[in-house]
Amino acid sequence: MTDPNSQSHPAAGRVQKAPENFLDSVGVRAVHGEARAGRRDFIRNAFATALAAGAAPAVVAQVNPVPAAGGDASILELPAHTKGLGLGVATDGYGKPSKFEANVQRRQSPGLTQTQQSSVSFAPLQSLFGIVTPSGLHFERHHQGWWDIDPSKHRLMINGSDEKMVRTPMVFTMDELMRLPSVSRFHFIECGANTGMEWGNVTVPTCQYSHGMISCSEFTGVPLKVLLKMVGADTRRGRFVLAEGADGSSMTRTIPMEMVESGEVLVAYGQNGEMLRPENGYPLRLVVPGAQGVSWVKYLRRIEVGDMPYAAKDEAIHYIDLMPDGKHRQYTSIQECKSVVTTPSGGQVLLDKGYYQISGLAWSGRGKIKRVDVSVDGGRNWRTARLQGPVMDKCLSRFTLDWVWDGKPALIQSRAMDETGYVQPTNRLLRTVRGTRSIYHNNSIQTWLVQESGEVKNVQLS
Amino acid sequence: MSSSRKAILATVLALAAGAAFAQSAVFHGIGRPATPKELAAWDIDVRPDFKGLPKGSGSVAKGMDVWEAKCASCHGIFGESNEVFAPLVGGTTKDDVKTGRAARLTDPAYPGRTTLMKVATISTLWDYIHRAMPWNAPKSLSPDEVYAVTAFLLNLGGVLPDDYVLSDRNIAEAQKLLPNRNGMTTAHGLWPGKTLGNGGKPDVKAVACMKDCVAEPSVASFLPDFARNAHGNLAEQSRPVGAQIGANTTVPAGAAADAARERR
Repeated sequence: MTDPNSQSHPAAGRVQKAPENFLDSVGVRAVHGEARAGRRDFIRNAFATALAAGAAPAVVAQVNPVPAAGGDASILELPAHTKGLGLGVATDGYGKPSKFEANVQRRQSPGLTQTQQSSVSFAPLQSLFGIVTPSGLHFERHHQGWWDIDPSKHRLMINGSDEKMVRTPMVFTMDELMRLPSVSRFHFIECGANTGMEWGNVTVPTCQYSHGMISCSEFTGVPLKVLLKMVGADTRRGRFVLAEGADGSSMTRTIPMEMVESGEVLVAYGQNGEMLRPENGYPLRLVVPGAQGVSWVKYLRRIEVGDMPYAAKDEAIHYIDLMPDGKHRQYTSIQECKSVVTTPSGGQVLLDKGYYQISGLAWSGRGKIKRVDVSVDGGRNWRTARLQGPVMDKCLSRFTLDWVWDGKPALIQSRAMDETGYVQPTNRLLRTVRGTRSIYHNNSIQTWLVQESGEVKNVQLS
Repeated sequence: MSSSRKAILATVLALAAGAAFAQSAVFHGIGRPATPKELAAWDIDVRPDFKGLPKGSGSVAKGMDVWEAKCASCHGIFGESNEVFAPLVGGTTKDDVKTGRAARLTDPAYPGRTTLMKVATISTLWDYIHRAMPWNAPKSLSPDEVYAVTAFLLNLGGVLPDDYVLSDRNIAEAQKLLPNRNGMTTAHGLWPGKTLGNGGKPDVKAVACMKDCVAEPSVASFLPDFARNAHGNLAEQSRPVGAQIGANTTVPAGAAADAARERR
C-alpha cells in the first residue's frame, strides 16, 4: 500500500479476515473453478489482483464482532417486528420521523439572543443527507415572532415609489397568485450571519451552530418579473424593488431589479412539494437565489418598485459589514462560494480507525459549484472530492471523498470553487481584507480536528 | 410627414400597443387595481430622501414620555440596555456629530456597536420605529409619537438639544447631524446588481493549490474544555447510529470517546 489517503486504494487498518465479496462475481467463479481443479495458490493471486485493482480491501478491526454465542442476538433472536403485526395505513395522516430520530432537531445557540421571537434556530447539518433540508428542520430566523397566517386573507400588493413607476398598482389574492404559471426550483438560503460567530475565534462546537443557518429546498412560485409586467412597472427608471412582510416587523429589504429581470426571483408559496411552513413565511415569501436570507422576505405582503435603495433597518443598522477602517459595507447581499464538511464534524466521535466517507455541502450565490477539494492535513495537500449530481445553480451540492483514518490527529477541511472561478478563501485571507468584526459573510474554510481519541473538535488554524 | 404615412405609423403604433396589451391579457381576470385607501394603509415605507414621510412633529420632551411608557422596559431608560436587544445609544461623541463618522468603530477594543454608532440615515430610524415598534404592539404609535421618540433617541445620543422639536420640515437638517452619516460604503462586490457597488468583483482571490501548500499548520483557536458542554450534551444532538455519533460532553474530553464506544 502506498499513500494511505489515495482515493483509489483505500488502505486497510488491522487486517482480520477476508470477506467473501472482495472478488467480483467473475472472480468468484474463477476461484471456485480453480479450487475444484486443485490450484489453491490461485486464491492468493486473485486476492492480490483484487487489491491492486482497487476493489474493497480486507476489513479492519470490526466494530461489530461476533459474540461468544456464535451469532448476533439481533439476528438470532427474532424481534417483535418480525414476529408480529404492524400498524395500519394512515395511522398518521401526516407522517413523522421515526422516534429514534428525536435527536435530529433544529436548535438555538445558547446565549446568542435574549428573546425567542427575534432569534435563530440552526439546522442540524451533521445529521442530514443529500441536499434537501426537510421542511421541519429548515433553519429559522424571525425578527418579531412567527405567525400562521390564514391564506384566504393574505394579499400581495404591488405599487411604485411614485405614481408613474407602475401603470396600475394591483392587489392579488393567494387564489390568483396560484393560478399564474409557476416554476419550481432548488435553491439554498443562507443567513448573511451564518458562521458570523467564528470571525475572530472558535465559539461553537458543531457544524449545526457554525454553519446551520443554511437550508435548501425546492421552491414553487411565480417569477416576480411576471407580476411586474402585469402592473406595468417602469423598469427603466425603477431599478430597485422593496419587499415587505406582513408580520409585526413588516421586514423590508431592497432587491436589485437585475435579479428580478433574470427571472430568478420568485414570489413563492411552495416548499418541497407542499406549502411553505409557517416558520418559513406561509403562505407567501420572496425567493432571491444567491442573496442572503434576510432578502427572502417572509409573509410577503407588498412589492414596491423604486428609483433608489431604501436603507431599511436590516440594510442600514443590521446586515451591514464592519471593515477595519471603521466603515460599514452597505447593501451586501451575495452569499459567496462556501463549503463545510458535515461528516465527520465537530462534536462527533469516530468509533474506530479505518474507512470513512468524508461528506459535506458546498454552495455559491454566484452560480454552480464547479469543484470541491478536501484536505485531511490542515490544507497542505488536497484531493478533489466527488460532486453528487445534479449540480444546480445557487443550490447546495453534496460532495464526498473516501478516507481511511489511521488513528492519528487529522485536520479536515473543504474548499469549494464556483463556476466563476472564485475559490473559497482561508479565514486568514478573509481577515486580511475584512478584519474580524464584520459579523456577516464569513465564507472561510472550516477546519475540524480529529483527535487521537476519535473526538472531533472545531478549530481554527494560524 | 404625409398624412397617409402618419396614418400608417399610427396603425403600427396601435398594433404594437395592442401586442403589449395582449401579453398581459394572457392573465386576464387575475389581480385588480389597488384602491387609494388600500395603498395608504400599506405603503408606509420612508426612504432616505424622505419620500413616504407623513407630515407631523414631536418634541424631545414628549418623546421621553412615550419612551418611558413604551420603550424603556426593553431598551433601558437611556437606550443603553443590553438585556433584551443590543444597545441603541452610546459610543458616539460631539466630534462624531461634526465629522459624520463614529470614531470608535475604528477601535477593535471598543465593546459593542450601538444603533447610533451605525445608522447613517435618519429615515431608517423613523421608518422602523413606525413600522415595528413597540416590540409587542407594532404600528401602534402615531406619526407625531414617532417623531417624538426619534427626537428623544437622538437627544440621548447628544445629537439633538433638549428643546428640539423634530418634524417633516426639519428632519433633513437633523440628518446632517447623525454621528455616523458618512460611515457607509457600497464599494464592494456583494450587491447582486449593477446599480451599486463594484459590479460584483470579489475582495479576495484565493488560489486552489493542491500539493505542499502551506507551512505545517498550527491550531490557533479551539473551544476550551470548560466550554465543552456549553451547547448542551452533543451526544443528544446527533443521530445515535451512523459513521460517527455525538460526543458525550457531560464527561471530560477523552472519556467521551470511550463512552461512545461503550454505548455501542
